Amino acid sequence: MNLIHELIVAGIIMSACLAVYLEEAIYSLISLVIMFILTAILYSLSGAVYAALFQLMMGVGALTAFFLLSEELTEKSKVKYVSKRTLLTVAASLLLVIPTILFSAENIDIGVSCGVSLPSALWELRGIDVILHGLVILTVVLGASIVLYERRRGRK
Amino acid sequence: MNYIVLSLILLAVGFYSLLSKRSFLKILVSIEIIATAATMNFVLLSSSVNRALGEALLILAFSTDTCVNAIILSLLVIAAKKYGRRDISKLAELEKMKGDEGGG
Repeated sequence: MNLIHELIVAGIIMSACLAVYLEEAIYSLISLVIMFILTAILYSLSGAVYAALFQLMMGVGALTAFFLLSEELTEKSKVKYVSKRTLLTVAASLLLVIPTILFSAENIDIGVSCGVSLPSALWELRGIDVILHGLVILTVVLGASIVLYERRRGRK
Repeated sequence: MNYIVLSLILLAVGFYSLLSKRSFLKILVSIEIIATAATMNFVLLSSSVNRALGEALLILAFSTDTCVNAIILSLLVIAAKKYGRRDISKLAELEKMKGDEGGG
């Protein structure tokens, strides 16, 4: 079980490094997809199934937008990939994995435990929930009004 | 496995990318990595204290994260359409030139 955790952590760090390094948009986004999936697996292995589901949902939403807009947001790269440099990035990311394995603190037990279920925890945090949903709606309204304003300006 | 170290490494990778890369897409990717590193702590550190509260906070954090992503994505798309550039350093140069022309 511990080995699986370590492999997943190594995969997360490697895919994050590759998402940053790879210049080609499609490869970079595929690395980000892998990072999201591995993070969700890590959550579910830690027992947080709902968090894993939400991570996947959010990842899918964000990545769909990124894939659709990747053509707009990237310039055509003329740089040909050298496999040596890619291997170097993988090696560097493997080096970054070492501290995660070495600083082993498997059981961080603070000693405080209270049996609260997820629905009741969400209910307790409903104030924050309402504020955050208000923020989401405000963002949507602001975005839509800016788009409409720009269109009107364009017509004039 | 110390998940704080994992979170810190992801945060470092994200910050490095945010400061060194100039492509718009890379900026978005690095913000995603930073957000993942930050939200990861909610679940992984709450395991021994209160799992449900950690999960609830993570779900709430995802909504703010989505908002932030939407705003940044829209700003970058507007900038790319308006200036026709996908490089943030070139955008800064454009703004500088515009300022010089206005002053002169």
